[in-house]
Amino acid sequence: MKNRLKVLRAERDWSQGDLAQRLEVSRQSVNAVETGKFDPSLPLAFKLARLFERPIEEIFTDEEERG
Amino acid sequence: MFCSIKSPAVRRLTNRVLGTMVLNILFAVIAALAIRFAHLRGIAGYLVAVLPALPIVGVIVAFGVFLEEEKDEFQRNLMVQALLGGIGGTLVATTVWGNLEAFVHVPHLQSIWIYPIFWLFVGLSTPVVLWRYR
Repeated sequence: MKNRLKVLRAERDWSQGDLAQRLEVSRQSVNAVETGKFDPSLPLAFKLARLFERPIEEIFTDEEERG
Repeated sequence: MFCSIKSPAVRRLTNRVLGTMVLNILFAVIAALAIRFAHLRGIAGYLVAVLPALPIVGVIVAFGVFLEEEKDEFQRNLMVQALLGGIGGTLVATTVWGNLEAFVHVPHLQSIWIYPIFWLFVGLSTPVVLWRYR
């Protein structure tokens, strides 16, 4: 699943560590989600949506839906 | 185990595992001395012989508790994958060895070795799992 985490982070000038701290997860976890190697659970996706004040579908893109 | 910054759950897991390891050594010494010098027989003998295995059960429980306590789902995922690697590797290795025992009469593998073999495979799986997410 693709996502816009890197862009959203850059807009706020946050490092992966900053985001990890806000999400209360490890930096490794943020990196895995950001690079698309790990799909977050719904609770974590909602947490990201609240943090970036965006709907989930603006942060994550469903590859299959895009065709 | 995996976290660069140790979470409270990892710290608790480490303490629990270290505690059970100390108990394991202590119980193994007690069992060996009791069987050798007290010549325990019957139920008492069985109970003392099983004693060193109890901390091993404790380690399995500690990992189960860790998977409940760790809030970082990615770290939980890494741990589960490494444990699955351990289970898979152990099943493959012991099944292959069992067939070798049955058909070409290699030395018998005592079941007491299955547990260390499991952790050996967990140890081998861990860098592979981490490499996938590097």
